[in-house]
Amino acid sequence: MVNSPLINTTVAAATSHAVKSYGSGDGTIFALNDVTVEFVSGQFTAIMGPSGSGKSTLMHCIAGLDQLTSGSALIDGVDLSTLSDKELTLMRRERVGFIFQAFNLVPTLSAEENIRLPLLLGNKTGDTEWIKKVIDTVGLTNRLSHRPSELSGGQQQRVAVARALATQPRIIFADEPTGNVDSTTGTEILTFMRRAVDELGQTIVMVTHDPVSAAFADRIIFLADGKIVDEMLEPTAVKVLDRMKSLGT
Amino acid sequence: MLRIALKGVLARKTRLFLTSIAVVLGTAFLSGTYIFSDTLTTTFDQLFADIYKNTDGYVRSTQVIDGGFGQEERQRIPISTVDLVRKIPGVSGAAGNIQAFARIIGKDGQPLGEDGFGPPTFGASISDYKGELWTISQGALPTKPTEFAMDDVNAKKAKFAIGDSVKVVAAGGSRTFTLVGIARHGQARSPGGATFALFDITTASEFLVKAGFIDAVLLQSDGTVSDEALAAKITAILPPTLDIETLTGAQITKEVQSDVGEGLSFFSTLLSVFSFIALGVGCFVIYNVFSITAAQRQRENALFRAIGASKRQITQAMLVEAIAVGIVGSIVGLFSGVLLAQGLSAVLRVTGVSLPPGSLIFAQRTIVTVLTVGMIVTVASAILPALRAGKVPPLAAMRSTALDTPGSITRRVLIASAFAISGFGILLAVILGADNVLLGLAILLVFIAILIAGPAVARPVSLFIGRPAARLRGITGAMARQNAARNPKRTSRTAAPVLIGVALVMAVTVLASTIRAEISDAFGKQFTGDFSITADSNFFGGFSPSLADDINALPGVQRASGLGVSVAKISISGKDKGKLVTVIDPLTVEGIFDIGLIDTPVTSLTKDGVFVSQKAALKNSLVRGSTVAVTLSDGSLHNLEVQGIYVRDQLAGNYTVSRQLFDETTVSRFDTAIFILKKDGVQDSDIRTSLNAAIKKYGTGELLSKSEYIKKQAAQVNQLLGLIYGLLFLSVIIAIVGIIITLLLSVHERQREIGLLRAVGMTKSQVRTTVRWESVITSLFGALMGILLGLGLGWIVIFSLRDQGIKRFTVPTTGTLVILVLSFIVGVIAAAYPAHRATKVDLLDALAMT
Ligand SMILES: Nc1ncnc2c1ncn2[C@@H]1O[C@H](COP(=O)(O)OP(=O)(O)O)[C@@H](O)[C@H]1O
Ligand SMILES: [Mg+2]
Repeated sequence: MVNSPLINTTVAAATSHAVKSYGSGDGTIFALNDVTVEFVSGQFTAIMGPSGSGKSTLMHCIAGLDQLTSGSALIDGVDLSTLSDKELTLMRRERVGFIFQAFNLVPTLSAEENIRLPLLLGNKTGDTEWIKKVIDTVGLTNRLSHRPSELSGGQQQRVAVARALATQPRIIFADEPTGNVDSTTGTEILTFMRRAVDELGQTIVMVTHDPVSAAFADRIIFLADGKIVDEMLEPTAVKVLDRMKSLGT
Repeated sequence: MLRIALKGVLARKTRLFLTSIAVVLGTAFLSGTYIFSDTLTTTFDQLFADIYKNTDGYVRSTQVIDGGFGQEERQRIPISTVDLVRKIPGVSGAAGNIQAFARIIGKDGQPLGEDGFGPPTFGASISDYKGELWTISQGALPTKPTEFAMDDVNAKKAKFAIGDSVKVVAAGGSRTFTLVGIARHGQARSPGGATFALFDITTASEFLVKAGFIDAVLLQSDGTVSDEALAAKITAILPPTLDIETLTGAQITKEVQSDVGEGLSFFSTLLSVFSFIALGVGCFVIYNVFSITAAQRQRENALFRAIGASKRQITQAMLVEAIAVGIVGSIVGLFSGVLLAQGLSAVLRVTGVSLPPGSLIFAQRTIVTVLTVGMIVTVASAILPALRAGKVPPLAAMRSTALDTPGSITRRVLIASAFAISGFGILLAVILGADNVLLGLAILLVFIAILIAGPAVARPVSLFIGRPAARLRGITGAMARQNAARNPKRTSRTAAPVLIGVALVMAVTVLASTIRAEISDAFGKQFTGDFSITADSNFFGGFSPSLADDINALPGVQRASGLGVSVAKISISGKDKGKLVTVIDPLTVEGIFDIGLIDTPVTSLTKDGVFVSQKAALKNSLVRGSTVAVTLSDGSLHNLEVQGIYVRDQLAGNYTVSRQLFDETTVSRFDTAIFILKKDGVQDSDIRTSLNAAIKKYGTGELLSKSEYIKKQAAQVNQLLGLIYGLLFLSVIIAIVGIIITLLLSVHERQREIGLLRAVGMTKSQVRTTVRWESVITSLFGALMGILLGLGLGWIVIFSLRDQGIKRFTVPTTGTLVILVLSFIVGVIAAAYPAHRATKVDLLDALAMT
């Protein structure tokens, strides 16, 4: 694989010739146009690109929230297109974690219930030690019984991060996780994500606009018009800004 | 603004449709009730106009006794009157007419016609007179004492053919006749489902009533004078001692029409009471839907306010929507009423009442009333939410969630308590002796208190009810529980229709089970025999008194005694009152049926005596030895001596006389029940065999043991109960629709949440479970509140009946459990569609929403 930097690690998720199009005939829009990419275990990948370039679409299709028009998406080597709705749901529940930009939490459940939500849905207790560690790490121990409405935006996002980590998923997808919080909180959240990768060995794929956020990642994939146009390893904010300029965004 | 409002209405077609359904259901029943009763009245009017088409005059006795409960008995006239009328100049033809009780026994030995509240069974006269009410459509006219004809519908139903030997039971006993003809009544094959056995006038007189007597004379004029003049002339010519009056054909037609109309109007009133209940329940649904949508549209409305719309404009826009819903809903309801009316006719047909063909009557009044009521109800239900919508501050545009909080809970509880306390205060006043009418006010106040308190208690109660769901269903149950509790106002408004329905059902159930217990008790105390034979005739007809005599002659029987009722006029302190009097056989009743005589043996009742209940004796200052003037239905006057006072009046009523009193009168007497005491040592099965054989000879009657008999008497309440349950069923349907609409709106509102849950791994079936349990919790909340209110209501009603001898208050345990189970099912049914919709929420759309 051309884009695979680390030959000897396992692949958590991948697409092969992924195409997602809307409409037909002359008016066809290609949100994804032949995307082949792999996300390796224990790596933090950022996806960047101009608005409408297909970042969210790519993420949704790999995460099993949306279906490809052609090509394939795999998680843990399983082709998502072979799964029924129920199997897909279980796949998301057990092997995928999500952090959305906003509205991450169920308003009627406490912070703790929100964190355990995927486990509760599967009627499982999960790894208690692990969850305790996660909650400690994100610093929510005192807020566990609070409802989302009683938490600040930053705290809510931290709960979302904890939820994504709670099940020890194969891969976590985050769509602009810091888009709705102030920069200090944003940095905090990104630091957690970084630590999750470094200390806990998580795999994370994150969509972002912001070069500073992207610099937290190990690797950046640049999308434009539904195609991968570039890739960068070990990014810094300055390098990213330069690359963005040269890509004309 | 009006344009915007109308556009808004059209843009939200689904919601318009959902809200309209509530209006449609409410108005459809009203419309159906009107159409059905108009159609019924018109049909019967036409039927009778047709039957009396060839009747120019109608001669009958002036003496009539009204026994209450629609029991009217007119004195009979001598059969010789027919000849007298026929000879009067101006009369071209005349014939006697009789209509009385008779029951035809089918081929299987079972009497034709329904038991209980079915159409009546008649015997009547038929002749070759030109103006005869019946016409033979097949076969011949019965002319001999051994011949009879019968109505078309029932002959077919019973598979009788001309030439068959058929047993008929009437006042004259049980006899076998040869079926010689099939007849029609006017245009109808059979009037209103009643069974008719037809005889020549002499046989009818002797077999159905009393030999030599008839009900009336039908006559035709030769056309030389007007009907009115002829009627006056006949009355003048006939001897005044006959005590007769002559009606013109038009008059008798009108009288019969209005008699039937009265009966039907009771029916229509009952139906419309329930359609108004349904409409009231519908109000809550409409109110709820408008409240929810107002809350959901808060941001939009705030935006309008921010860009310069006035409060009034916002309120008006909501009202425009309400008017649109009212118009659409009422019109659809009006026409759905046609279907409902057809359904009701079909139900009648199934129960054996065949209506003459004719189209449904769609009166102008129906259209005007239904549309007006539908509009008023809709707009009235929308006013509060519309005013509230207008109060939205422009700032709310910045807020993100639909605000629908119960306001100040303390204030609510205080106001509710104020209503409840005034209600209970009035209750106390009534207990201490104030007028029973005030109980209605007490009920209303307590009801308002419950509705106001609803939102305040909805949260804790829902959380309480939902506990098992959370326990049983894990996170989905827990979320359902929280969802039911998160909008307490919405939950309590959604539950209100369930509450009303359950409260009414509960109250009626309490009343019924109390009455059942009272009946069992009364019959248990008074019926001391071993067996009973009952005629399911509801005051009309029954057994010939000779059946009791026959049974008395059976070897295993120690004693059998017949019991009947008769209509009589009783003069007390100068005033005449129609009454139903109980007729016993004092020679045999001892030890079988005990009315609780004070210090008097029942055998002391003579032909010229009467027993009076203690209540009536006190009220009318009667003592043993007083005289009571009693006029029987044949007009004969009897001065009866009070020979005893009794305390158990639940079954016997206020006056009890001896059957011998009727021996020399023309009153046709029936026993409605025969009570039997068997001889010691006789096997139950043996005596059953011989009793059944005796019954078979007479054709009708059901043999029951003491306990079966008591159970059956108590079960009579069930028929009425069934009818009321049936009518309340409509409210249940509206309640279900209310829950469906609320859930659909909630699901719509929670799309994002559902999308998120689906993303992090909630399966479709888990989504359904959550919606289902929320629905069940809401429904159970309504049921629980309704049960409490219903118990209170039932207690109040029973309390108000304390003077009628109903004293105990029975809590129906089974009934309560059944209601809870049914509410559970209602919740599950109501959730089906919204749960399905919830699984259709598009994941990506939901996640894309901000
Ligand atoms: N449901 C849809 N119908 C039509 N076009 C869509 C739809 N969803 C996304 N698109 C198009 O697909 C392209 C990629 O969208 P998206 O993945 O959301 O971009 P990004 O997240 O990079 O901003 C855009 O041009 C967008 O307009
Ligand atoms: Mg995007």
